[in-house]
Amino acid sequence: VNLLLAILLFPAAGAAALFLVPSGNAKVARAVAFVATLGSLVLAVALTLGFSTTDAPTEAAGTHVYKHVISVPWVESLGLQFKLGVDGIGVAMVLLTAITIFTGVIVSFSVTDRAKEYYVSLLALVTGVFGVFTALDLFFYYFFYELAVIPMFLLIGCWGSTTRTMNRDYASMKLVLMLTTGAVLALVGLLAVYAQGPRTFDMVAIERYVGSVGYSRGFQMVWFPAVFLGFAALVPMWPLHSWSPGGHAAAPAAVSMLHAGVLMKLGAYGILRVAVTYMPDAAAVYLPWVAVLCCMNIVYGGLVAMAQRDMKFVVGYSSSSHMGYVLLGIATANLVGVEGAVLLMFAHGLMTALAFSLIGWFYDQTHTRMLDDLGGLMKRLPFVGTCFVLMTMASAGLPGFANFVSELLVIVGAWAQGMWLPAILATWGIVITGVYLLRTVKSAFFGAMPSRWEGLRDARTPLERLPYALLVAILLLVGFWPQPMMDVIRQGAEPLVESMQAAQRRAGMAVPAPLEAAKPSEAGAR
Amino acid sequence: VNVGDMNLVALLPEGVVALGAMLAVAADLAGPKTRRASLPALVACVSCLAALLLLLRPPAGAAVAGHFVDDGFSRFVRLLAAGGGLLLSGLSAAYTRRMDRGHGEFYGMLLLALAGVMLVAGVADLMSLFVSLELVTVTSYVLAAFKRNEATSTEAGLKYLVVGAVSSAVLLFGIALAYGATGTVDFAALSRHVAGRGFSPLLSLGTVLVFGGLFFKCAAVPFQVWAPDVYQGSPTPVTAFLSSLSKSAGVVLLLRLVAVLVVPAMGAEGAGTWAAILAVAAGVTLLYGNLGAIPQRDVKRLLAYSSIGHAGYLLLGLAAVAASADRSVQEAAASAVLVYLLAYYLTTVTAFAVVACVSAEGRGHDVEASYEGLSRRSPFLAFAMLLALLSLAGVPPMAGLIGKLLVFYAVVRAAEAHPALYVAAFVGAAGVVVSLYYYLLLIRRMYVGTPPQGASRVPVPWPARAVIAVGIVSMLAIGVYWGPVQEAATKAARALFATVVP
Repeated sequence: VNLLLAILLFPAAGAAALFLVPSGNAKVARAVAFVATLGSLVLAVALTLGFSTTDAPTEAAGTHVYKHVISVPWVESLGLQFKLGVDGIGVAMVLLTAITIFTGVIVSFSVTDRAKEYYVSLLALVTGVFGVFTALDLFFYYFFYELAVIPMFLLIGCWGSTTRTMNRDYASMKLVLMLTTGAVLALVGLLAVYAQGPRTFDMVAIERYVGSVGYSRGFQMVWFPAVFLGFAALVPMWPLHSWSPGGHAAAPAAVSMLHAGVLMKLGAYGILRVAVTYMPDAAAVYLPWVAVLCCMNIVYGGLVAMAQRDMKFVVGYSSSSHMGYVLLGIATANLVGVEGAVLLMFAHGLMTALAFSLIGWFYDQTHTRMLDDLGGLMKRLPFVGTCFVLMTMASAGLPGFANFVSELLVIVGAWAQGMWLPAILATWGIVITGVYLLRTVKSAFFGAMPSRWEGLRDARTPLERLPYALLVAILLLVGFWPQPMMDVIRQGAEPLVESMQAAQRRAGMAVPAPLEAAKPSEAGAR
Repeated sequence: VNVGDMNLVALLPEGVVALGAMLAVAADLAGPKTRRASLPALVACVSCLAALLLLLRPPAGAAVAGHFVDDGFSRFVRLLAAGGGLLLSGLSAAYTRRMDRGHGEFYGMLLLALAGVMLVAGVADLMSLFVSLELVTVTSYVLAAFKRNEATSTEAGLKYLVVGAVSSAVLLFGIALAYGATGTVDFAALSRHVAGRGFSPLLSLGTVLVFGGLFFKCAAVPFQVWAPDVYQGSPTPVTAFLSSLSKSAGVVLLLRLVAVLVVPAMGAEGAGTWAAILAVAAGVTLLYGNLGAIPQRDVKRLLAYSSIGHAGYLLLGLAAVAASADRSVQEAAASAVLVYLLAYYLTTVTAFAVVACVSAEGRGHDVEASYEGLSRRSPFLAFAMLLALLSLAGVPPMAGLIGKLLVFYAVVRAAEAHPALYVAAFVGAAGVVVSLYYYLLLIRRMYVGTPPQGASRVPVPWPARAVIAVGIVSMLAIGVYWGPVQEAATKAARALFATVVP
């Protein structure tokens, strides 16, 4: 049995099985969702651990090897197949998704209204996400991509919250429309890639075509922006980011976790897997501009986060600020930077999932996330509060957490590429992050506690603590010992960077020497 | 004309359907009193099934002395029509059981209209085109005004009649001009004429007028104004008919005409004009329909505007046929239109089946009164509507996505010859987003809202339940695995172009 297919089928089968559960039986619905996501998680861990040594079928485009490849002919006249496979980047993303959805399902145990429909939507969404990270066929890539977006509408619209700061109707509609705009923009680009290329939807075959013949420079210059912007809306790159913080604010906890933890990574993944891979020559020209734009993400996003009083908005803007680092890492087009970007996608995904799950814990009880209403929560919520502080440390890039390693790599990569200003601004961005997160922690968890919060309940049972503990543990594990994860990611990043640098040389740009001596990943471990 | 040339066996399926129409009327008049409501519906279903089975035989070639042709293309379209007719009969059965009289007439008219749509698929000259199309149109007038005691239905019938009569006149005038310019109405002869001598101004004018008359059937701009009022006022099964089978009659004829008139003249000067006309009409139509749908509060009007939008996508596919001189692109575009039609049939019939059930409660078609919180009182209907709306929007894993995807694919390929078509593709993509907006508004009403006071579970009669179940299963099946459908459509498209002068 193909491992990827099984990972994909667990949530899909779970969603299908839920249709058989009578409505109103929340317990059974929960159990089905728990089992389905646990199955995916176990398999995803197995996938990651065995990735370098696996003897599963592989397929290669040049030096780029996809493993666990399975392909079933689908519509032969179009050259379409149902094809799955992963490289190292995909593995990291599959693992991230599996962890996030598993913890998300546990956090969702508090959902009682129409639980069955809730879990159907959640599992459909996550099927789409797994599909995007494993698909090796452009049609199914788009298919799963849209499948991941639409359930968000129902999840936010039905189970989200309307607060003083955000209306869930507005947020859900804006989110879906902006993401779909991006998706159809990318779709037209993908069809052009198909029609003007080797007339196959097979992503590996297109990659081989790119390695041997390649798309004409004129084609790339026109279509790279369409495909890139289509995915960048999901990242979200400034100025296309405005759907994101509002979407977080209105979504229920688990959906915020998936949204920030995973969904935004679909955009960055699409940029790497499609835009940059297929059109490296245009990427060489456009990516320096992306490096400029993403400074706006980092600095502007951070400054806006500083001004927020709603905790979900703080974390929401901080997410788009951090995704700026991911874009910067991609824009460096060198191994250190791209590896850092992918590791940051992983680390940031877990970190924001942790943040939103913690906020969800006390929001369920307080029904407010406004910093002005909170205070001194540490007294009543020692476990949740401690985890929140740890999350803050991770987010602010303190050594010992995976985020530190990856942000450092991105900045080193940018510096090596001669992107001085973005590198400096990105460093400054870490300071901004520290400022707004420490302020958030201070006003929510320390100081005087309003008396109405006396009755708050901390996470006590092992099951309640499991999601938080799991997320913190993985962040620390990867932070102290990043090398195994880095090796997995490098397997996918290296060939990609080679093709980007080859394009840079074709364009007559200076390509810096590889940063082998630096080995910053080990520096992070110390 | 000798009898051997008639080859009437080729038109046997239409004959069976027309016979069914007579039988339905007879069953109502002479059948047992207790069975008056159900017998005509049963007759309709059986004759559609019989036609479906007859259509599985191999094509029989030219018929009625060359006025009709029974080729692979017409087979595909007639299979669609007969299948659609079967679903519509089921949907009507759920509706007509509440009528106290007129069952025979209703099914008689419906079957005659269906026979017209099936004839349209195989026309081989302009005269049989006109006659077949009128068979659809005239019966539709009666059907639209079927609830003659209700002002809205009478209004719908009248509006449809006035606009329809004008467009028939336009169509006929166009045919006359084309005949005057070429001296023939036969498609093959017309095809040879344009291949040799191109379009004279007179023939161009005639063709534009014919296209205009067909745009009326498709509800495409600038002949779309009738659609919202007529859709709103007509009985719901009739609305479903107008937006599916009747619309497809126009699209299929446009496809046939583009193949026999525009494609042979491809090499000539100014050949790109037809592609431009169709592409502009497509862009305007899909923007008009999708933008116009946003403020609608009546679900049938909303679906009317949405169906105008879909006419735009179908025209986009036609524009791709007209734009590319590459036969494989033409075939891809034509088959995309056919797959789109199939997906659209299934989706609209499902959607209108839900509408028929919900409006049977007597709360009307107002989205606020009838659809607010529908998922809390009728989860099955709400789920069916959710899937239908997502399919209309072109979201995976629904059939609608496949239709849109194939059309976009054809347009992008045709754009290699005419880069301006990229603009059309982006306009189409923008239309997808706009349409998603108003579909999601309705979905939100059904899933987020709370039902109005006193509203309870909506009863779903078993024929409607069956139609909806078939709709859901086939929408999902085609959305996930559409290979066989596309292969059949490609074969049909090949047959369409096989007779065209290269």
